[in-house]
Amino acid sequence: MGKVDTASRWGNVNDEAALEEPPEHLRYRRALHFRAAMRELWADRVVVLSLTERELKARYSQTVLGFAWALLAPVTLMIVFSVFLRRVTSIDTEGVAYPIFSYVGLLPWTFFQGAVSTGGTSLISNTALLNKVYAPREVFPLASIATRLVDSACATLALFALFAIYTQAPAATSYWAIPLLLILLAFTTAVTLFVSAATVYLRDLRHALPLILQLGLFVSPIAYGVENVAARWRTLYVGLNPIAAVIDGLRRSVLYGDAPNALYTSIAAGSSAVLLVGAYVAFKQMETGFADVA
Amino acid sequence: MLPSGAVAVEHVWKRFRSDRRKQRRAKDLFERLGQRASGAAKASPWRWVLKDIDFTAEPGESIGLVGVNGSGKSTLLKIISGVMFPHSGRVRTGGRVGALIEVVSGIHPDLSGRENIAVYGSLLGLSRRDITRRFDEIVAFAELEDAIDRKVKFYSSGMRMRIGFAIAAFLEPEVLIVDEVLAVGDASFQQKCLERMREVLQSGTTLILVSHDLAAVGAIATRGLWLNDGRLAADGTIDEVLGEYRQEIEKHAEERAHVRGEVLLTDLHVEGPDGALPTTNELCTISCTAHVAEERTVSLFIGVSQGAATPIFVLRHDTRLEAGATNLRLEMPHLPLPAGGYFLWFAAYLGSSWKHELSPWQPLGSMQVVGSHIERVPRAIVRLSPMFVEARWSHDG
Repeated sequence: MGKVDTASRWGNVNDEAALEEPPEHLRYRRALHFRAAMRELWADRVVVLSLTERELKARYSQTVLGFAWALLAPVTLMIVFSVFLRRVTSIDTEGVAYPIFSYVGLLPWTFFQGAVSTGGTSLISNTALLNKVYAPREVFPLASIATRLVDSACATLALFALFAIYTQAPAATSYWAIPLLLILLAFTTAVTLFVSAATVYLRDLRHALPLILQLGLFVSPIAYGVENVAARWRTLYVGLNPIAAVIDGLRRSVLYGDAPNALYTSIAAGSSAVLLVGAYVAFKQMETGFADVA
Repeated sequence: MLPSGAVAVEHVWKRFRSDRRKQRRAKDLFERLGQRASGAAKASPWRWVLKDIDFTAEPGESIGLVGVNGSGKSTLLKIISGVMFPHSGRVRTGGRVGALIEVVSGIHPDLSGRENIAVYGSLLGLSRRDITRRFDEIVAFAELEDAIDRKVKFYSSGMRMRIGFAIAAFLEPEVLIVDEVLAVGDASFQQKCLERMREVLQSGTTLILVSHDLAAVGAIATRGLWLNDGRLAADGTIDEVLGEYRQEIEKHAEERAHVRGEVLLTDLHVEGPDGALPTTNELCTISCTAHVAEERTVSLFIGVSQGAATPIFVLRHDTRLEAGATNLRLEMPHLPLPAGGYFLWFAAYLGSSWKHELSPWQPLGSMQVVGSHIERVPRAIVRLSPMFVEARWSHDG
């Protein structure tokens, strides 16, 4: 059993006088080792799965409708849009039934909105655990996102029902949905990570969030199409709101048999990727203080 | 790289905001701006809770961490387990750190015991395979065989606590952190926890234990660390450290104690044979002066304790005290105490019915005993009472 060797940099403090403040060179700095962090997260994937399972089981326990609730929220909005909004404004759906048109917009939006609202508060609602058990903290927001993925998968069933009702089939170009959904996932993860960490420090966000998300429903092209946005603003619009590009791309590929707009899609992909990396770094930086304030 | 099971805590500092509010409000911001504008210096809002903590735990060592409430013990444990980050310095550990803590607060009431075990097992670092393999053991440990498929919200509080603890008890980390677990559960469950800790220790796990039960710390740990106001006040063998710590807390108790009651004892003097220090298994004499305002028939109680509220033994003396001062002498021909620091307590009651309290139970003073040391089983977790038993061994043939 050898004596543990401590590096000289750490051993050089003058032990004679009791210091009142730590010397500056000892200041703890969070070094972000991206690969190590990813490896740790991968090792803890089972934790994310367990938390997801817990959230799913607990959320619908003692409810009569159970998973049907995942379907009810977007379907209700779709009906509201179809019945009321269509009466007051005219939206050109290019021959596609409006319920399908709006539902394709509602699906990604419901996922984003759900993930951000539950994921955003996932850290502050798990403070008891955060203060006791070590795990990479991103497992909590990630589990919320995974939960909403399952919900959205359920909600997609309604889309197939709509296709059947309006006797339309998804277009052959539907495979474009895969990269588009990846963009959506990246953007959602970025926002959820950032919001969850920021909410720990600024609890106001918890109250502001539902309001902001409600506005988002109207700022995104869900009830209307991207074409309704003035042409010169569209590039900026999809850059700031990648969901707009995702919804537009989904409509083009699934409903119209077209490829997604290359410019919009690449802008959305680029900005989502940048946001994801930035949000992750910010999350890891803020993480050092979670246990102090939570 | 550190050897597996080692912990190096290197000049760790930690501070918290001393204003109690955890949230900053817009109002504070304006106040700060106002102060800055008027040039008023504000007292630092930070309070240092850990100051320059520096020690190294060797693999397989069992360390007892003691200190009064608020001395920074739990903060240090949180930093070692990675839940909290230090302000300065760093902590390195060889291998996984596990914490033996109750996770009652994290148990989800809407899930069954079975589902909770799966979720919390993985959160605490057990793999799915481990959980499946040890599931029956965990359930048996928690004594929940009949209730495992019931939702946790229908559990009694005792069951809830046991399930939380049982999951944590099956971790097999290289470094185990134990914070005040000896307060969990009824006597038989505590015994089980100790048994489990002993098993974990025997597999060579490094242990860092925090408890206010000094007898338990003394029995489990081999090395002691004493945290006093955020600083490491002592680091040595558990007996040395506990001795120093007990002296300190008893000194405080003595300072706080103001003698009160109708019967007062003063001029306490404790001595061993021929005026030497009190010695194990030798004659010990306690002398003091009793004061009463008027003649009383009293029962005097004198007790001896060691760093805990429960005395090791209490002696009673029924007597009649004349008004004024009376010199009392108490002789114990064979002092049944091993070497160490002890504390004397006293109380007085009227007559023999003990219904009327004359002087409440109060500290009287301290004494230092020399002689034989208490024996303990290496690496076994047993609570020992500090008492000396005269015994002889013999061999046949």
